[in-house]
Amino acid sequence: MAITKVTSEVIGTVWKVEKSVGDSVLEGDLIMILESMKMEIPVEAPIAGILGEIKVVPEESVEEDQILCLIES
Amino acid sequence: MSFDDRLKDLKAREARARAMGGPERLARRQAQGRLNARSRIEAFIDPGSWVETGLLAVSSMVAQDRDKTPADGKVTGFAKVDGRMVAIASNDFTVKGASSSATNMKKVGHIKRVATERGLPLIFFGESSGARMPDNMGARGMGSNLGHDPQQYVRTRQTPWAAAVLGQCYGSSAWYTCLSDFVVMRKGAILAVASPGLASFAIGQEVEAEELGGWKLHAQVSGLIDRVVDTDEEALAEIRKFLSYMPSHCGEPPARIFVPAGSDEGSRRIADILPESRKRAYDVRKIIECMVDLDSFFEFKPRFGRTAVTGLARMDGRTVGFIASNPMGKAGALDVAGCEKATRFTVMCDSFNIPLILLVDTPGFVIGIEGERQKAPGKIMNFMQALQMCTVPKLSIIMRKSYGQAYLNMGGGRNSDDVALWPSAEISFMDPHFATEIVTWGQQVSDERKQEIRAQMEKDNSAYGLAEIYAAQAVIDPAETRRYLIQQLEIHEMRLSGGVGAHRMASWPTTF
Repeated sequence: MAITKVTSEVIGTVWKVEKSVGDSVLEGDLIMILESMKMEIPVEAPIAGILGEIKVVPEESVEEDQILCLIES
Repeated sequence: MSFDDRLKDLKAREARARAMGGPERLARRQAQGRLNARSRIEAFIDPGSWVETGLLAVSSMVAQDRDKTPADGKVTGFAKVDGRMVAIASNDFTVKGASSSATNMKKVGHIKRVATERGLPLIFFGESSGARMPDNMGARGMGSNLGHDPQQYVRTRQTPWAAAVLGQCYGSSAWYTCLSDFVVMRKGAILAVASPGLASFAIGQEVEAEELGGWKLHAQVSGLIDRVVDTDEEALAEIRKFLSYMPSHCGEPPARIFVPAGSDEGSRRIADILPESRKRAYDVRKIIECMVDLDSFFEFKPRFGRTAVTGLARMDGRTVGFIASNPMGKAGALDVAGCEKATRFTVMCDSFNIPLILLVDTPGFVIGIEGERQKAPGKIMNFMQALQMCTVPKLSIIMRKSYGQAYLNMGGGRNSDDVALWPSAEISFMDPHFATEIVTWGQQVSDERKQEIRAQMEKDNSAYGLAEIYAAQAVIDPAETRRYLIQQLEIHEMRLSGGVGAHRMASWPTTF
């Protein structure tokens, strides 16, 4: 089993988490939305798999390249 | 000595030269999964096309080094890559760390001159320790070895240069890398002015090699490299790919190649990628991939200056360069790194007759103290001047936001040969709310008066506002963008000069 780290492209805050641990995702599925520079930044699954862990919660601040969640495939 | 014996002697000398630094050193490299100076060339070129120059060259400064310096540590020559002649300098780290010496600098100087005068791309496989010692020590060492070529570090972009950072790159490998149009780096390689050892001895700075000049630094912070790979073989493939987009020299346009089947299929997906909400970000690379010839997008510096995306691609078989604002990075507001990246890319494309396509979705430039400390106004003007000095065709598509000075930097008005808008485009100087605050700054103004001012500021910012006064040439369906750009590229072909631009920035720096 491979673990894929999904990281933040931007500095911002977590606005909405759209999936839960254990959900299966397809490549391109929306996992969460960040808020940065008054913009909504979608975080999409880079690969199909099962959402293994979500490391952030809404309103949490995130840094660039911070790990947001893990996908098992 | 009979002639046969003379020939045997020649063969023996050639074999010694090709043995490089000896079997033990070569075996160690192989065990680490790294190619050597000669196997890199073999893996890079069309089989059987290698023509070496200076095979029998050796150290000339230190008598006892003559037998220890096969090819004097830098393998130089000419070969074909995908049927096209190129010049190559491959550093042999197994011979005195590929350090620069009196002899091997002549070799590199020769292939550089030939490449420049005869119109050949020039390739560097970087892995060198710097100037050779003790050869270069003392006044006589310096005076004898260095400074005899007043054009050594002049870059006038007559032919494309590409460099691979494949090991420790100090000295000449670092310099030629930074002068190149395209740089690929293998993870684990180091690019720096001087080694961590020297940093430790000379200034007392204890630093790990990776931190001093590793791939993460150069891919994300310095922006000195364009692509990162895991192996030597991948690095060579990346340079071959880069060359496939480029002309051999500045006096010709890039070759036009066949268009892969299915290239027109992506356009209709653009509308799905572009969000309904103007506040929702998207990755502009997905939009580029929908418009270009199938699988032809080759991104430069993907981890650096992420507010902008730059890369080569093909449209209807022609090489084009893309500069796109990326809403995924700081909402597409261009920052200092984004400007540096766009400037360098603009200069390269203009120097090699590659039309530019600008995709615009930017709320303006990043403002604030961090940018100002990094000379943001100067960087914005470098980019702007580069765009205005361009003589290759420039085509601009305003996808969504285009605000303020960034409207000009991203090709607005006559800063492009043609500007088209999507119906989602919005154009103004700044957000009406900010504009109201700016013009009333420091004044006692009632809320009612502010409302009136804001109403004045909220002018028509639509695509049609620009099209009606012919500040843009067309409003198009995003799905029509590929077809539109292909038509415009044909209209704006540089017929009077045989597809060759004026190259007014050919001697601009390669880094900013």
